[in-house]
Amino acid sequence: MALSREAYRELEGIVGKENISDDPALLDCYRYPLSHTAIHIGPYYRVYTPRGAAVLLPGSAEEVQGIVKLCNKYRVKFKPSSTFWSAWGFPLEDDTIQLDMRRMDRILEIDDKNNFAVVEPHVIGATLQAEAMKVGLNTHIHGPGASCSCLASATALGGLGPDTLYMGHHNENLLGVEWVMPDGEVLRVGSVGSGLGWFCCDGPGPSLKGLVRGMIGTNGAMGVFTKCAIKLYPWPGPAPLPVEGKPPAYKAVLPDNFRVYTLGFPAWKAWADSCYLIFDAGIGYVAHRQFSMFGRDLKGAMVRILSDPTKTLSDIEELLKDPEVQKMTEDMKRDYQIVLAGMTPGDIEWQDKALDKILEETGGWKVKAMLEPDLYNWSLLYMIRLGHKNLNLVYGGGYDGCFGLGGTPDFGASGEPPRVEQATAFKVEWEKKGNVVACGGDAMMGGIGGMGGGGHALWENFTHFDPADKASTEGTFEFFNATDKYGMEKGFGPGMEKMNDYARWTDGKTTPKEIRDRILGAAAQPEAFRYQRKFKETFNPNDLGDGYYRTLDDPIE
Amino acid sequence: MALEDYKVDMERCSQCSYCKWIPFDQVKSWRFAKGCPSIAYNNFLSYSARGRYAVALSLLNGQSTYSDRVVDIVYKCTTCGSCDVSDKICRYNLEPLEMIHELKFRLVEDGQVLPQLTAVIEHLGKENNMMMKSGANRGDWAEGLDVKRIPGESAEVLFYAGCRFSYDEELQETARSAVTLLKNAGVDIGIMGVDESCCGGRAYDMGYKEEFTRLAENTIKAWTAAGVKTVVTPCADCFRAFSRLYPPLGAKFEILHTVQYFDRLIKEGKIKFSKTIPMRVTYHDPCHLGRQGEPYVPWEGKEKKVKNQIVVYEPRRPRYNGAWGVYDPPRDVLKSIPGLELVEMERIREYAWCCGAGGGVKEAYPDFSSWTATERIEEAKSTGAEAIVSACPWCERNFIDAINAAGEKLKVFDVTDLVKQAI
Ligand code: SF4
Ligand code: SF4
Repeated sequence: MALSREAYRELEGIVGKENISDDPALLDCYRYPLSHTAIHIGPYYRVYTPRGAAVLLPGSAEEVQGIVKLCNKYRVKFKPSSTFWSAWGFPLEDDTIQLDMRRMDRILEIDDKNNFAVVEPHVIGATLQAEAMKVGLNTHIHGPGASCSCLASATALGGLGPDTLYMGHHNENLLGVEWVMPDGEVLRVGSVGSGLGWFCCDGPGPSLKGLVRGMIGTNGAMGVFTKCAIKLYPWPGPAPLPVEGKPPAYKAVLPDNFRVYTLGFPAWKAWADSCYLIFDAGIGYVAHRQFSMFGRDLKGAMVRILSDPTKTLSDIEELLKDPEVQKMTEDMKRDYQIVLAGMTPGDIEWQDKALDKILEETGGWKVKAMLEPDLYNWSLLYMIRLGHKNLNLVYGGGYDGCFGLGGTPDFGASGEPPRVEQATAFKVEWEKKGNVVACGGDAMMGGIGGMGGGGHALWENFTHFDPADKASTEGTFEFFNATDKYGMEKGFGPGMEKMNDYARWTDGKTTPKEIRDRILGAAAQPEAFRYQRKFKETFNPNDLGDGYYRTLDDPIE
Repeated sequence: MALEDYKVDMERCSQCSYCKWIPFDQVKSWRFAKGCPSIAYNNFLSYSARGRYAVALSLLNGQSTYSDRVVDIVYKCTTCGSCDVSDKICRYNLEPLEMIHELKFRLVEDGQVLPQLTAVIEHLGKENNMMMKSGANRGDWAEGLDVKRIPGESAEVLFYAGCRFSYDEELQETARSAVTLLKNAGVDIGIMGVDESCCGGRAYDMGYKEEFTRLAENTIKAWTAAGVKTVVTPCADCFRAFSRLYPPLGAKFEILHTVQYFDRLIKEGKIKFSKTIPMRVTYHDPCHLGRQGEPYVPWEGKEKKVKNQIVVYEPRRPRYNGAWGVYDPPRDVLKSIPGLELVEMERIREYAWCCGAGGGVKEAYPDFSSWTATERIEEAKSTGAEAIVSACPWCERNFIDAINAAGEKLKVFDVTDLVKQAI
């Protein structure tokens, strides 16, 4: 049902004429191409998410509330999104109202005594980090990088990233939420709801955090989060970051209490052992298998290109012939990057020694080439600001992660041959078909562990392709189908490449119920989705969200 | 290239939104993190480079047709190129600014034009200037100036004033000072006065490519006939037109901006300062001197793929991302002036915030243009500077207008003005 003129006028009355549009071309800017990193579906060549009925730019929680109430009155679905990274934030059905939260972009408070910030939806990692650093604090920046909404990551998704080792997942950092519920009522969750300030998202009384977030975030399918508080962490460095150099190869020379190393290991077991030893030692500020996303064979050449403003992708073939680059690439075969940040001179000295000891015990090394000043300062800035995350797409414009070897650090490292190598060999065979970038199979990127070593390591095997090329896009899809099958057969668990199949289907719209039920029913803990159905019935009686909220209709056992 | 040639770019744009911000590595605060004035002012996604890719694709695919909104989206862009710099942090094979130009060209070809721009372009066609003034008065700014007149006389260096300096009475003194300073430093300099015509750069940024080509070809012909080898201009818009847009049309002149020439003369000891200027100033990088002021590199080639799907170009395609723009000469000049203290704003060099005067925006959307300038004024004020200094009359005019409208006290100077004061 298209939006009636009457409904449009009423919505316009809430946000003002300049903040609403139903122009078709403008609406097409709010359609996500499922031909590239749609995370994690497809890719489907030249398929787009459905066109909305109108786009609205609310400027306050009151306006959001007014919009949501009108949506209930007219029974129109709505979908909020803040920074629109990937297909998650876009409608699943035609004629949905798209809320673009861009105008709500204020950092409302940074409490440097209690280490938290209160932010609106469109505050991004880069701006919050820059402001937090001014008072000696830092924010977790989740995997998609500095361009993305902090609130969305904390409220609507899992929010893991390279600094998760020190700063946790963003869901753990959530200290309170203001939630415009799907029926238009406003609920302040956590201590703030009792007028006690933003310091805890649970209680007093029964915690609603789990309800608000759902199992792994509501993906914008259950009302609208209009502000939230996020825990901040110590930053023992300068503000602003002392960035120098020419674009795109910016670098930062940080004081002597910082280190960045690319660590290499002789075997996957040693790799995993080092992670556990790092957890035990309690060292590290950022730790991530980062540059491996360019591929086992190409990463040495790529870091050379990316850290040198005179180089472009056209240099890759020449660089690959360079013996020094070949040596560096080999040294980085089983690697991760780690940033150490000393809170005192003694602390950094101790962390350095502890790391050296860990390397001694595991037979690992600091990759020498990455210690050259240019690469060192480039990688330090890269890991701290996470402002180059869309290098994911640098090769041909499309990427998605597959397999997803998630678990303890030795999950990928164990097996015979190690699961990483099994996944690598499998991908190498598919690379031979020509549709995805031939990068050496292993382009597995991900963290080494959660806060203090808790949580799990997660590697997604990046697959790079050209979304403007039919054969490449469709060939990637075939590869993902094969990956999914292979991963299940091998006991890797469900692959990331199909993670959102339960919600969005091949035409870009809601997945047919029967397929959705089958996928969600086969999940490890389907009961959670039955409970979520009950939540939905209670809090979203007119069903104005979308299928990203995971529900199962059969009765709770 | 035609708009259709950018279709692959449209399909490869990953909607990452980097183009809305300054490069994230350079973000120093919440307040001054935005890069694209168009989306900062208009808010809908369509007003970013990402959005313009999507609008263009929608039009090419026949999913939508021209509307007032489409026209608004396309023209409400200053063509400042901030998006291009930020995009190229992660994307090595997209050219958003080129596509934005092609989209404007297409709308003009299809008659989807704005009356405010049509009036300017019609006047340009008759009088060869962007200022809605008579072509016969173009040389008036130099009246009484003791300088050679080309083509009647010959000179080693042509001083090209540009439309704004030729006609804007409040700014003309800057052009006169520049000529005098260069001449006194021993440069054999001449001007074309009434025989000078618009460089065409601003018409190009408005979408009027044919008009640009006509003007560029006339200028190239006139300079060639006059034996011109070196051109110096005090206008960043003209500088970019001559150094980046003219060479593909066959131009082979040495192009310098006055700040580059001053820098050279100061370093050679040919300009010496005798006075102190005790003032704290900040410098605004004009888009056309900074990120769009990189030297032209000829290239003809095609896309190819290596390692199956890595998109590269054969031969190697030059990358324009602001890395090699003109940033240090104006700063070096300012730093060499006794007593002057140069303080930097947060957004500088390749990631400077636009003044808001480009792309036809000042002519067609004065409120947006003024807001963009006001944002820069706020940033300049945050440094504690008494004055904002630049090297482009269009930026300076927009700042003066915005300052006057807001009743602000910040002073506006051209680098030339301060050099002159210090002598
Ligand atoms: S930065 Fe480039 S790739 Fe990213 S959205 Fe903008 S134009 Fe597209
Ligand atoms: S050229 Fe400037 S105004 Fe236009 S889209 Fe790019 S950044 Fe925005």
